[in-house]
Amino acid sequence: MTGWLVARLGRALGAAWLIASLVFMVSRALPGGPEQQALPEAGDLSRPTASMVSAASQAASQQALRQRLGLNLPLFYVTRGPGPRGQWQWHGAANQYHAWVRSLLHGNWGYSYRNGQPVLALVRPALATTLPLASAAALLAAGLALLLALYLARTPGGWWQQLVWAGLSGLQVMPLFLLALGLLLLLANPDVLNLLPAAGQAPPDSTAGQLAGYWLARAALPLLSLVLAVLPELTLPLAAALRHETQAGYATTARAKGLTAAQVLRRHALPNALLPLLTTFTDLLPTLAAGVVVVEVLFALPGTGRLLAEAAAAHDYPLVVAGVLLTAGARLLALVLADVLYLLLDPRLRPTA
Amino acid sequence: MKYFWLGSLFALLGGACSSPPAKLTSAPVRIRWVRDPETLDPLALPNQSAVDASNLLHLSLLQVDYEKNAYAPALAAGWPQLSYQGDSLTLVHYELRSAAAWDDGHPVLASDIDFTLKLMHCPGLPNENSREQYGFIRQVRIDAANPRRFTLVCRSRSAETAAISGDFPVLPEASLDPAHTLRRLPLATLQDWPATRPPDPAVAAVVQRYQRANLARQPSHLPGCGPYRLASWQPNHEVRFERKAHWWADKLPAPPLVLQARPHALVYEILPDDAAAALALRRHDIDVYPQVPARIFKQLQAAPTAKEDFVFYTKQSYDILMVGFNTQRATLRDRRTRLALSRLLDPVGLLAATQLGQGARTVGLLPPGNQFYNDSLPLPTYAPAQAMTLLQQAGWHRGADGHWRQAGSAAPLAVALRYRAEDATFATVGLQFQAAAAQVGIAVTLLPGESTVISSYLQAGDFDMYVRLIKGSPLGLNFATILHSQAIGAGNFTRFGRPDTDRLLEAIATEGNLPRKRRLLRRFQALLQEEMPLLPLFFLPYRLAASRQLQHVVASRLKPGYTAAALAWPATPAPAH
Amino acid sequence: MNAAPLSSRRPLACWLAFAWLALLAGAGLLAPWLPLPYAAATPDLLHVAAPPSWAGTGHYLGTDPLGRDVLAGLLAGARRLLLLSLPATALATTVGALAGAAAGFWGNRHLRLPLAAVAAALAVAWWGLALPGPVVLYIILALAGLLSLLQWRGPRAAAPWLMITLPLDSLVLGLTTLLGSVPRLILLVAVLAGPPLTQPQLLGVFTVVAWPETARLVRAQMLRVRAQPFIEAARASGLPTGRIWWHHALPHACRPLLAYAPLSLAGLISLESALAFLGIGQGPDVVSWGGLLASVRQDPTVWWVAAGPGIALLVTLLALQKIANSARYSGSS
Repeated sequence: MTGWLVARLGRALGAAWLIASLVFMVSRALPGGPEQQALPEAGDLSRPTASMVSAASQAASQQALRQRLGLNLPLFYVTRGPGPRGQWQWHGAANQYHAWVRSLLHGNWGYSYRNGQPVLALVRPALATTLPLASAAALLAAGLALLLALYLARTPGGWWQQLVWAGLSGLQVMPLFLLALGLLLLLANPDVLNLLPAAGQAPPDSTAGQLAGYWLARAALPLLSLVLAVLPELTLPLAAALRHETQAGYATTARAKGLTAAQVLRRHALPNALLPLLTTFTDLLPTLAAGVVVVEVLFALPGTGRLLAEAAAAHDYPLVVAGVLLTAGARLLALVLADVLYLLLDPRLRPTA
Repeated sequence: MKYFWLGSLFALLGGACSSPPAKLTSAPVRIRWVRDPETLDPLALPNQSAVDASNLLHLSLLQVDYEKNAYAPALAAGWPQLSYQGDSLTLVHYELRSAAAWDDGHPVLASDIDFTLKLMHCPGLPNENSREQYGFIRQVRIDAANPRRFTLVCRSRSAETAAISGDFPVLPEASLDPAHTLRRLPLATLQDWPATRPPDPAVAAVVQRYQRANLARQPSHLPGCGPYRLASWQPNHEVRFERKAHWWADKLPAPPLVLQARPHALVYEILPDDAAAALALRRHDIDVYPQVPARIFKQLQAAPTAKEDFVFYTKQSYDILMVGFNTQRATLRDRRTRLALSRLLDPVGLLAATQLGQGARTVGLLPPGNQFYNDSLPLPTYAPAQAMTLLQQAGWHRGADGHWRQAGSAAPLAVALRYRAEDATFATVGLQFQAAAAQVGIAVTLLPGESTVISSYLQAGDFDMYVRLIKGSPLGLNFATILHSQAIGAGNFTRFGRPDTDRLLEAIATEGNLPRKRRLLRRFQALLQEEMPLLPLFFLPYRLAASRQLQHVVASRLKPGYTAAALAWPATPAPAH
Repeated sequence: MNAAPLSSRRPLACWLAFAWLALLAGAGLLAPWLPLPYAAATPDLLHVAAPPSWAGTGHYLGTDPLGRDVLAGLLAGARRLLLLSLPATALATTVGALAGAAAGFWGNRHLRLPLAAVAAALAVAWWGLALPGPVVLYIILALAGLLSLLQWRGPRAAAPWLMITLPLDSLVLGLTTLLGSVPRLILLVAVLAGPPLTQPQLLGVFTVVAWPETARLVRAQMLRVRAQPFIEAARASGLPTGRIWWHHALPHACRPLLAYAPLSLAGLISLESALAFLGIGQGPDVVSWGGLLASVRQDPTVWWVAAGPGIALLVTLLALQKIANSARYSGSS
């Protein structure tokens, strides 16, 4: 068992490195680069210029910038010449990929192109904002999904059940930014309800409890948006699976033996229906990562979603690659965890061959 | 603990009902920024937020006076004198203010100016931006008798050389180069240093010291001469500036607007979403909201408490929304085709739709109130019948299927329009043009894209038409950046340029005599309308919403549209009502 | 308790769901020929972001912040739904189900392929990448041909060293992980940074983005189904593995998809709205429900632009879920 686990973790790390390398190369091969944002915009009349900005001088500035950032080296150990049938060329160790891997092995994750700061120093405070938000949203959503699914799986339906079902479908249909915008306009609007507290920081001499209070107040609306956005995806399939399980033979036997419908649901149907929920729960990470970007932009939270989105727009490659490495690593660890949980939950799945 | 919750609940509910309390003089003024400045390195100012911050932390020789919309002397004692040497060099004579000093007490001297210009050409620093803009300054001649008097030798004959020669933040030499090792290297040597040669050891030492100072995040590692210092910076969230207690310009008897700094603290909140920022303004979380979009401005004005709480300003800016043609495409080479296509755009309707009617239509690249505006030219309008006549004059025939073809080619007239995807204004222009062209029989393909991708397409000439927003200013009338033949591949996306138009643009840039300049500019605007390499649709307005309690709100036509350092809360709090 | 699958006992809600989907299909197919006062992509510059008005301007459901009529946009969006989103969801679900079921059934050790297939694939890759050395290419092709000749003498009697085991599970899991780890928007920005895509290419892109989720779901279910006694019984009775997989294991493994597929349609539409929001993919002249929803960002007070496509999407989703539920309860036991 432990041998299998170690092999699995090793494969996960290798996969993460492969994904990061892929993103490394694809991002640098795309058209455009960091020089578009760092240099003044061409064709701009707002700064009076004394000398003509010709194509040659602009190319010289771009070349100087690329040299400072190390982008003038070839991309990989071998590259292909331009054209449909270009020739392959060997470059040895003087290439961007080699430099990146070497610095990564020394523990240096690179420096941002825009301000020269170490990438980890930029990512750490952003993670401190996003991780609590995302994990709280995931746990809350999972708990609520379980409760709601148990409610929805009761066979004598009723109007309330249909309404909840329709409400969840409506939430699924609405894009996250509309949902968050709607919440913002409803709950942070002086015309309607003014519940969101001030932007800004807690005073520096607050106690831990006060800090937690400020964080909670600021994170309430983003948390609500994320939970509402993710809830239908978790609840509806689980409710359907529970309903299916209550039709099985063992459920009828349990009812015949005298258990109430709710007890049958909780003790017998739920463990059998949990497996698809586990899959959807581990798939939650990409959904949450995408949702967190929207929520952070709307509610002005300085989190990793916004940081990476802006880095991608500005072609700040070290930050993008570090972000993808972290996301991929987290996702792969979640997958390993899910596999371990599969084995714990269902003995029939233990690897025998 | 429970009292904290109870109390905050009451405070929240109470805050929802009453008007904002009066502010103390020492309260910070909170302004909205759209994006994070990313770096506060004075040599690399990549976006408007960084420029705003740099104006608070550092001073230049000449700074923009937002009331007069012109440059005014800040570190310089007075407007510089100009003289000419040879036929290509301009000499700009400056004298620094005697009171100007760094935080550590040393005076600001001409050697600091020389040092700053040399820093712009040191390899390894993020100075490519400044290098391109100030590379025309070739030498700094310091007066031996007066260390505050110096002359900049500029390699340009433009009429605005004086103004642009002084617009860079000045850095102290004493902190980065205490041994004055760079003084023996002339500026021109550093500018002409080949890229392949390793740098001079003195230069390398200065670069290392600069990089260790980490000015991108901690500008306080160097003494500055500006009125504010950086108090705290939470990236992507909030930047806080505090007024220095002892600033040299406080001792001046009658400081000009560029040397006034009233707020005790300035806090910039970074709120990327416009609707969220409007709600923040109404909740009194921010005090100034610059460059408000049209619809949000209207909603803010229509809010119930708007009149008591806020003041609204609208100013005509120098930003132009324009449509450009690729004059080197075979289908668009004839100017009558371009004129015909320009008649299919509807500036009046687009102005009403996107800016709610606020804005100024124009005949050329100058705003209607400008002294050089050519009012004898007609404003471009929507005229599809004229478009069809022009197409026929250019040799296009309309076939049975409704499409236009030229004799001898089977390809119908079709146009690909590129624009940046972020702005809804561009999408509206594209849709209107597409609908109007479809009625006449021309197929238009809309190609929105990400900004960097669009820039590379435009520079490569891979488009038929584009829609762009050009930021302009009254301080420079040098249109050569977008219409000179030498700028093809750089800023001249339309690829328009003939020898006579090049001469006209050069003459405009160097002309100093006003009546002659007026004649040249009128001819230029008429030329633009005849040749139509680009069609300026209208000038956009800058809208500003500020809290009513703020004093000295200077709404300006130049970006960013306000002066942060002039704002102040009233000295005595108004009685609460 | 299994109700008898008599059509007369189908509830009214089921018929309503069918009726709505039929209306949607009809509106989508007939959209270009319906007599509407305004075309979908033509902006009405005088009535930008105008609220719905039943008299006067003729914009019965109002206009969006770009000036486009919402009613015409709804019909054009229905057409795009029929022609793009529904096929993309169906394709993604199919591809995901097949890949996940195969990965779950055969795992890493049970799928064996002849060596010649790998040799041929290597030769094709060599030629495709234009690697140096054409001589090597021909040698490999010759080797592949020789090996396949050796194989033909007897498929069952082929020597073990002529077969290789394809680690299908790791491949599929690795692909799904790759597509799931890179944030979706970065992936799409990278893919769509080039020239605009045609309909089939866009269909392909959406399929590539949406198949991993169904694959993982079906794979997890297949892991459970594989251990069931009836699969063992089928093996014992001598059925070929492929037939067991297709006829017996696959239908059971696809059961969670009935609940999941309508949700993935909704997910695809919100992906479309995120793309329209970023302005990638296709211009504003191609009107879709997702694009209309995205335009609300320009002016958050235009509730009618959110209500129209939102309600249409909601009703479509409910209809699909109703039909999926009734299919489950009437078809399976």
